[in-house]
Amino acid sequence: MKLVGIVGTNATRSTNRQLLQYMQQHFAKQATIEIAEISGLPAFDEPEDRTAPAAVQALSDQIAAADGVIFATPEYDHSIPAVLKSAIEWLSYTTRPLISKPVMIVGASNGSLGTSRAQAHLRQILEAPELKALVMPNVEYLLGHSLQAFDAAGNLKDATKAAELADDFTAFMAFVDLTAKITSANKFVEKNQQFSWSQVADGRDL
Amino acid sequence: MKFIGIVGTNAKKSYNRQLLTFMQQHFAAKAEIEILELANVPMFDESDDQSESPVIQEFVQKIDAADGVIIATPEHNHSIPSALKSIIEWLSFKLHPLDGKPVMIVGASYSVQGSSRAQLHLRQVLDAPGVNASVMPGSEFLLGRAQTAFDAQGQLKSAGTIDFLDSCFAKFMKFTNLVTALAAPTAVKYQPGTYDVTATGHNGALPMSVTLSDDRIESIKIDTSSETKGIADVAFKRIPQEIIDGQTLAVDAISGASVTSNGVINGVAQAVKQAGANPDELKKRRQTVTAPQASVTDITTDVVVVGAGGAGLTAAAKVLQAGRNVLVLEKFPAVGGNTVRAGGPMNAADPDWQHQFDAIPGEKHTLKEITEIDEATIDQDYLPDFRALKGQIQAYLTENEDQRGYLFDSILLHRIQTYLGGKRTDLNGNKIYGQYDLVKVLTDHALESVKWLEKIGVDFDKSQVTMPVGAIWRRGHKPMGDLGFAYIQALQPFVTKHGGRLMTETTVKELTTTDGKVDGLIAEGPKHEKVVVHAKAVILASGGFAANTKMLQKYNTYWTSIDDDIQTTNSPAMTGDGIRLGTSVGADLVGMGFSQMMPVSDPDTGELFSGLQVPPQNYVMVNQAGKRFVNEYGSRDELTQAAIDNGSLFYLIADDAIKATAYNTSQAKIDQQVAAGTLFRADTLTDLAQQLNMDPAVLTKTVNDYNSYVDAGEDPEFHKNAFDLKVAVAPFYATPRKPATHHTMGGLKIDTGAHVLNTDGAAIDGLYAAGEVAGGIHAGNRLGGNSLADIFTFGRIAAGSALQDELTVTEF
Repeated sequence: MKLVGIVGTNATRSTNRQLLQYMQQHFAKQATIEIAEISGLPAFDEPEDRTAPAAVQALSDQIAAADGVIFATPEYDHSIPAVLKSAIEWLSYTTRPLISKPVMIVGASNGSLGTSRAQAHLRQILEAPELKALVMPNVEYLLGHSLQAFDAAGNLKDATKAAELADDFTAFMAFVDLTAKITSANKFVEKNQQFSWSQVADGRDL
Repeated sequence: MKFIGIVGTNAKKSYNRQLLTFMQQHFAAKAEIEILELANVPMFDESDDQSESPVIQEFVQKIDAADGVIIATPEHNHSIPSALKSIIEWLSFKLHPLDGKPVMIVGASYSVQGSSRAQLHLRQVLDAPGVNASVMPGSEFLLGRAQTAFDAQGQLKSAGTIDFLDSCFAKFMKFTNLVTALAAPTAVKYQPGTYDVTATGHNGALPMSVTLSDDRIESIKIDTSSETKGIADVAFKRIPQEIIDGQTLAVDAISGASVTSNGVINGVAQAVKQAGANPDELKKRRQTVTAPQASVTDITTDVVVVGAGGAGLTAAAKVLQAGRNVLVLEKFPAVGGNTVRAGGPMNAADPDWQHQFDAIPGEKHTLKEITEIDEATIDQDYLPDFRALKGQIQAYLTENEDQRGYLFDSILLHRIQTYLGGKRTDLNGNKIYGQYDLVKVLTDHALESVKWLEKIGVDFDKSQVTMPVGAIWRRGHKPMGDLGFAYIQALQPFVTKHGGRLMTETTVKELTTTDGKVDGLIAEGPKHEKVVVHAKAVILASGGFAANTKMLQKYNTYWTSIDDDIQTTNSPAMTGDGIRLGTSVGADLVGMGFSQMMPVSDPDTGELFSGLQVPPQNYVMVNQAGKRFVNEYGSRDELTQAAIDNGSLFYLIADDAIKATAYNTSQAKIDQQVAAGTLFRADTLTDLAQQLNMDPAVLTKTVNDYNSYVDAGEDPEFHKNAFDLKVAVAPFYATPRKPATHHTMGGLKIDTGAHVLNTDGAAIDGLYAAGEVAGGIHAGNRLGGNSLADIFTFGRIAAGSALQDELTVTEF
């Protein structure tokens, strides 16, 4: 199985990046996880020509070629970081590779709550009709006190949290398999590859 | 009443902009609404703080001055646009202008939803602790189908909609008055007395004693004996002063000493709590956001020095000795720069003094090796000196053929070792070695610098001659007292006592020129006020750029890669400011691709003395796969490149017997580091390997092979020079290490008079440079102990040239 793990921040030091690196290494036998960075993307500004800049296109291609996507998000001000929101806006406004794509959300934060509010927002965002991602229900992986969570070799120090992540990841792989069956049987094919918020004026209220 | 309206998108066409513009006109009689746009706001990036940039400052100052804020948000993907999220992140990072500010949310969208979901998210975002805005509850103004809502004049068409907006806005004006009243400070009462508390400083416990009267914090006393001298001093002075002056706990931590600053603040908070008051009330007493002061400080002086480290203070002292005025600007709160972090000894050949010490085994061999160097490998400009040195060495060896002899040294040996030590070839095949005339000046005048420092007030320990780490030869003059701080402790009072003016927290923004001559600079002071300096000469002594990873990566041609998260042994102030200032007036650069790394540094902090630091004969270095990868006796460059080739992170393996040879730690520290996950310990090699994600078979084989080499006294794999202990006795340890940036070799091109040269090789009138900001001397690699020799020598020379050229002082 081939997955893309998106680091939800542009910070040079990030425990969410560490979390994805941990997953990449520990689940290497079950799946290939490519880690994608969003720090090089331009800021979304609703350009009139609606073409994806090269960096956005590259991310989009990476997502399109994958069986599923893992978002690792920090929490900034009770929500996802602007830079992650910007990446999602680009994808929703130009190439829309997340349509029917299985998604797992994880998050790490230095506080005790472990990005609970940001994850709730991200879920709502990814379910917006412009994106139509299939976010895995029931599972919420929250890693609090993340600055102390890893040892120098990049391992999760807490065995319970490591086991929880392994269970969640197994569930996600089953979810990817399941959605592959549903989506191939689904007769609805999203035709509109270029979404714009103004198009709702043309008759469809998304 | 005055409000700020924020258009919640950076799109060219926006109905939310139209809505705010409508409100601006419609409510003009009741309130002034100034509209701010997001188009120029950079994407928030916590690794690249731009809180002080003009665009963020405009938001901060205007919001601060306003009674309330109105945010008009579109809805993108069921949430607020990234552009709006980005400005809120900037306004909740270092600065918090929305804290307690009344906010009204409105929104327009194409769909009938009218931004309903985005508004709910925005409410939650504005409620977050870092933002802490006071958002008006209820009165949700949602403008759906915005494309049909306005007429050609930009007026809302529907009378019902306007009525509802009127009622929302009237409520917001009342709400604003209410919130303002709520924010008025509450009186705080203490149980009078002196409270002893213990806060946490950088090096552990920080006992404090806080005296409170009925309604005031009267005094704060701190026992600072456990903290590093020089680095945190300013936090112990300034933080208590600001707390007492403002009777507030809302004081900003000091750059470079944030742990200590917060330790002091938390200590006072504990005392306040013990005295029955609520420290949160004191934290609410916000200092008003520091707006740039209109006042411009205009200073005229003879010489202005940029940077108050060893080089800058030396230049300043020299100017004062000649009876001229000097101003020193330092961007950090504390003086001392990197000099306070230096190990202490400075190199200077002083054969008369060194003669009293016996030679030690190996030194004759080193000298003999020098005489055996093939002359064809010596660059032409150094050849005469090299031959003369050979003569000196041969005479010494003949004289001491049958006896142990004394410690040999000469200016020529110092010069040739500096030259040989600095010779490097980068990845593109470019060769570099120290520029002859500069190295000659350095080695000719280093001893003079020692004598000059003694006159300033630095005491050297004459009873021992030391070899600084990486110095190759014993010619280190070691100051008495606290390492590098000892120099600053003498220089700073000398400068202030002789009338030198020292301004800290003052960042130089640009150099000013008139007809090509540098004649001053423009800086920004601690309260963002503009500082204009007119001077006859500017001396750049602002250090290198080891703390600026992006700049290192940009210029690097020596290492195959430099990690984004590389740490540094330097002060965080070393960001290449002087190099930027110099090139802005046409300065040439030299050797910029070369940098020096400290291979065995803590991966998280860049510090050297964490984990188990043992003598090199007991080093066993393994990569992340559990295999040895290098001769542990390799030079710093060899170890660093080998580490980079192996993914940077590597481990020092030790057993219980090797642990006993560690010179940096105690059992308590070891236990604490194991618990924190920064040091690994296991009863078996298999367990240790598992902790490190290594194949246990690989690590076990590595250790068994190593132990057999120790028995055989020979390492056929990497040819390690010497061995001591085997890795055999449980428990076993692994100390994670990574290279950290240590010294940037390149910098401004200077001549022997420390004049900064332009790209045509001509001196830039009025501009001088000394210390790590300049390049060309140490070339590809700097010998330990030579940077101190450099700063005190070229610091004096830069001042001397400035005095001679610009102030017609010929004797000093």
